[in-house]
Amino acid sequence: MIEAVISTLIGALTAMVPLVLTSVGATVSERAGVVNIGYEGIILMSAFFGAIFAEITGNPWIGLIGGAFVGMLLGMLHGFITVYLKGDHVIPGIGVNLLALGVVAFGITAYWGTAGQHQVPTNVRVAPIINTPYGSLSPMVLITIAIAILTHWVLFRTPLGLRIRAVGENPEAADALGINVERYRFLATVYGAMLAGLGGAFMSVDWLGTVTKQLSAGRGFIALANMVFSGWNPLRALLGGFIFGFFDNLSVWVRTNPEIQRIVPWQFVATLPYLVTLIIVAGIIGKVRPPKADGKPYKRE
Amino acid sequence: MEEVPIIEMKGIVKIYPDGTKALKGVDFSVKKGEIHGLLGENGAGKTTLMKILSGMLHPTEGKIFVNGKEVRFKSPADALANGIGMVHQHFTLVDVFDGLHNIILGMEGHGLFSKIDVEKAKEKLQKLMDELNFQVPLDVPVEKLPVGVQQRIEILKTLYRDVDVLILDEPTAVLTPIEVKELFEVLRKLKSQGKTIIFISHKLREVMEITDRVTVLRKGELIGTVNTRETTPKELAKMMVGREVVLKIEKPPKEAGKPVLEVKDLWVKGDRGEDAVKGLTFEVRAGEIFGIAGVEGNGQTELIEAISGLRKVEKGKVILNGKDITGRPPRELYDLGMAHIPEDRIHMGLVIEMSVAENSILGLHWRKAFRGPLGLIRWDKVKEHAAKLVRDFEVSVPSIEAPAKSLSGGNQQKLIVAREVSKEPEFIIASQPTRGVDVASTEYIRNYLIKLRNENKAVLLVSADLDEVLQLSDRMAIIYEGKFVGIVKPEEVTEEQIGLMMGGIKNES
Amino acid sequence: MRVDIKGFTKPLVESLVAIVIGILVGAIILAFSGYSPAEAYIALFNGALGSKYGLAMTLSSATPIILTALTFGIGARTGLFNIGGEGTVYFGAIMAIILTNLWGNVLMGLFGGILAGMAWMAIPAILKVLRGVNEVVSTIMLNWMAYFIALYIVLQKIPNPEDPNKTLAVPVSARFPIIMKGTELSWAFAISVIAALITYYILWHTELGYELRVSGYNERAARYGGINPKKAIIWSFLLGGIMSGLAGATEVMGRPPSYAISQGMANIYGYGFDGIGVSLVGRNHPLGIIFSGIFFGMLRAGATSMQIEAGVPLEMVKVVQGVIVVTIAIPGLLDLLKKVVRR
Repeated sequence: MIEAVISTLIGALTAMVPLVLTSVGATVSERAGVVNIGYEGIILMSAFFGAIFAEITGNPWIGLIGGAFVGMLLGMLHGFITVYLKGDHVIPGIGVNLLALGVVAFGITAYWGTAGQHQVPTNVRVAPIINTPYGSLSPMVLITIAIAILTHWVLFRTPLGLRIRAVGENPEAADALGINVERYRFLATVYGAMLAGLGGAFMSVDWLGTVTKQLSAGRGFIALANMVFSGWNPLRALLGGFIFGFFDNLSVWVRTNPEIQRIVPWQFVATLPYLVTLIIVAGIIGKVRPPKADGKPYKRE
Repeated sequence: MEEVPIIEMKGIVKIYPDGTKALKGVDFSVKKGEIHGLLGENGAGKTTLMKILSGMLHPTEGKIFVNGKEVRFKSPADALANGIGMVHQHFTLVDVFDGLHNIILGMEGHGLFSKIDVEKAKEKLQKLMDELNFQVPLDVPVEKLPVGVQQRIEILKTLYRDVDVLILDEPTAVLTPIEVKELFEVLRKLKSQGKTIIFISHKLREVMEITDRVTVLRKGELIGTVNTRETTPKELAKMMVGREVVLKIEKPPKEAGKPVLEVKDLWVKGDRGEDAVKGLTFEVRAGEIFGIAGVEGNGQTELIEAISGLRKVEKGKVILNGKDITGRPPRELYDLGMAHIPEDRIHMGLVIEMSVAENSILGLHWRKAFRGPLGLIRWDKVKEHAAKLVRDFEVSVPSIEAPAKSLSGGNQQKLIVAREVSKEPEFIIASQPTRGVDVASTEYIRNYLIKLRNENKAVLLVSADLDEVLQLSDRMAIIYEGKFVGIVKPEEVTEEQIGLMMGGIKNES
Repeated sequence: MRVDIKGFTKPLVESLVAIVIGILVGAIILAFSGYSPAEAYIALFNGALGSKYGLAMTLSSATPIILTALTFGIGARTGLFNIGGEGTVYFGAIMAIILTNLWGNVLMGLFGGILAGMAWMAIPAILKVLRGVNEVVSTIMLNWMAYFIALYIVLQKIPNPEDPNKTLAVPVSARFPIIMKGTELSWAFAISVIAALITYYILWHTELGYELRVSGYNERAARYGGINPKKAIIWSFLLGGIMSGLAGATEVMGRPPSYAISQGMANIYGYGFDGIGVSLVGRNHPLGIIFSGIFFGMLRAGATSMQIEAGVPLEMVKVVQGVIVVTIAIPGLLDLLKKVVRR
């Protein structure tokens, strides 16, 4: 029994890393008023490029940083279009997702010559810090928790966080006080994408150790669901990410367990994160409210 | 020795990109330590002038001097740095933040990444509040606070930044009488501390009570500056409203018929949940133009929206031709003989991206005349209709397929009037019908409204242009804070009396 | 036809510019990865347009994405961001399979697609009208829920007893006849084009369409004009649902050789998302969507040739598509370019 509990715990903690990182990043971005639905694509591309960086340098940590870097670049693209050019917030995200599918699928074949899947060699993967017979724990789990806590602190206790939130709630008010709305929005967007990039690289260079064109498997969208579910709060996103990670693992467990399958098909368990988010957003269980100026380009009169 | 005025504005001209001349060369000077009132009707230019002083707008021409030194403001932050802060009519507060954070936003006192010292800020603010003798809860989210308290937080926001000159734009518009008294206490306290206050208002009694001097603007020009002690409300009203050359309109006397629209004890709430219309009762009869005059923001918009089905009626009734139409949607009202020329032609009266032809059937597109089989629209009929409207009302259009946004303001308005009239209504609402419209179109529209009245229609005219209401109405009311100050016949009342009523003071001789 | 010529050329040019940029960026990536862009693109265009077979495959690839594009386009015209086409396609396909296996004719299959589409899209419609739920969030969540629910149905409820990798097939009597032998082009393509034309007529020639478009431009003016915005929202979703439902139905009823859903829904996956790109490039106009759909269909059809003859992985076209969509998200693209060129 204990084995089941420990392995479930480790499984959930590991699965939550990309979810929490992306959710925390998305939270900061949306708190500043910028919507980005392209995290799915960012995770995928960072996983791909992160693996490449790791293999070239022989160092998994360079791979992780490389992934974050790629995320940062994609964040800059999104920020440029939405914040400075006042473009629509949703469409560039759709474009990035499409782009990622293409680049990664193309890239796997073009760079490694394999079709569809590439195994990242174990020597360039992140070494776990705790090894148990029931699973191993990656240092990224601790880093992720630290990032969530730190981000929460900055967002709610420092002037930087205050301004980011002001810019997302009432950009006119912030502007009238001399705060550069565009700069804060742009930085928030880049930060969000950077964290998602880190999460993506984690998947290829650490957790799953592979690069496939289906790697993100909807995690970008689950992270957005988690963001809403957590009421745009990084600490709650940590908890929420753990719950979603738990269900992520659970559906795999149900899938491999024929007796359980007879009672509840794994697919229904898999729909739970989305169903719950929908219920929350519909205000059926409690009300969460996005930042007031979320998704609206800001133009001074 | 003459003291250097703390603020001096010379020859300020402001022309907006669309050509509107908001200010036509205004001189304005304020002495240190005084409470200076800025008085005028809608469109007089008071808010524009102050937005320029507070750095929100740039003047087209003119200079600003602070303490004798010339300054140029690029943004509100520059003005703040020069000790000038403005509290706007529409608050700029972040709803979910508490008072403290709203006040310190942008001026948190130290590096971006270090912890905000909430205790220290609280101390500083408490000291400020004690000095001024007014208290404000600092840790309640601003959205939960009553409007009067929100305003105090806005004032604290500017004081926290050490302003010497505090500009308040229509501050009492959202306050109860008790809150007004409390505000005035604060202003007197600030004055005793050496602050200078500019008080924008259209409310004569308040201006008389709190200001040291008053400057009156009218239609973008300076009319004069007087010492409050040496003037009376009547005199100020006359300066505000003035006497001017006006297009004389032919209006034969007419006996009005039975009531077409009856409004009974109507109560309507505004966007912020406050009571905007407070128990209005009146009627509009066949063959008459009933005009409602008054400075904008006194409930006219909400009244019209309630009558035309666009806003909820809290209490009371609206009756059209004997039928209770309270709360019915616009479509039903149009079918029952109502038409509505809305005050916002760009965001409501027209869909400016659509063509003139497509706009010509907005609000009548379900009529049988335009319908073919299977719910198809007969565009040939629509085009005929549009062409007729354009012809009959002399609307200047590149073509009826041209998008409505390519028309001038006057032609857009004529198009709307033409369309509403084509509904063959018995009752028509005209809300700010000639605002921003060229002289020729204005004359056309006004004459047409008279024509409708001569044809026995009932017309409800709402306008911030007092001349318009005076000329066109058979009977008129002045609306002030959601109530009618008086229902009179234009020829039976003097301009001073009207000015007084618009400022909230009932008929006094 | 009522076309505003001046307002028509600018969007058209912007779409063309986005396409050109997409192709250029694709060329750069190809060169960087050691392929010959010229060889790749020539193989692509030849494969798609250089033969009757290619043309047929182009049109056949265009079929489902024209329909899903209409879903997004109708939503856009109504002022909504309806990206729920993806999930609706799955249910449309499933319903078509079920109904055609019960009543073996084409009409029942189409009816199944329409029914499933309307039913599934009623959900975000109701959520928006009753609870004000933002449709971007709801349709994304619903897409994923649809994926898993559909997967379950496909694997457990309608599998093909003889081939576990597929569902039951649509019976021969309910299949769309093939237009050109040896290709995948069936009369399902006609359904797409007809649907686009019908959409055009609805939007610009009916009272309902007028109300949808006014609501899309300006909700205040719509209410003032006697239009009920809730009615407009619901109709927009229902019509959109019909389109994507049909996309799923026509795929299984018109795609040889299996006429079924295969291997974890791989053959019906992604049409919804592609449709969004098609609609954006087609400027959310049904007629533009037809041409845009054919262009994207061309990319898809030519991709296999590109892979075979130039050795370029066919996913390259997805890269081009992605760049096109990102580019088209840039507002005032033409004005921006003019500024850059002037420097």
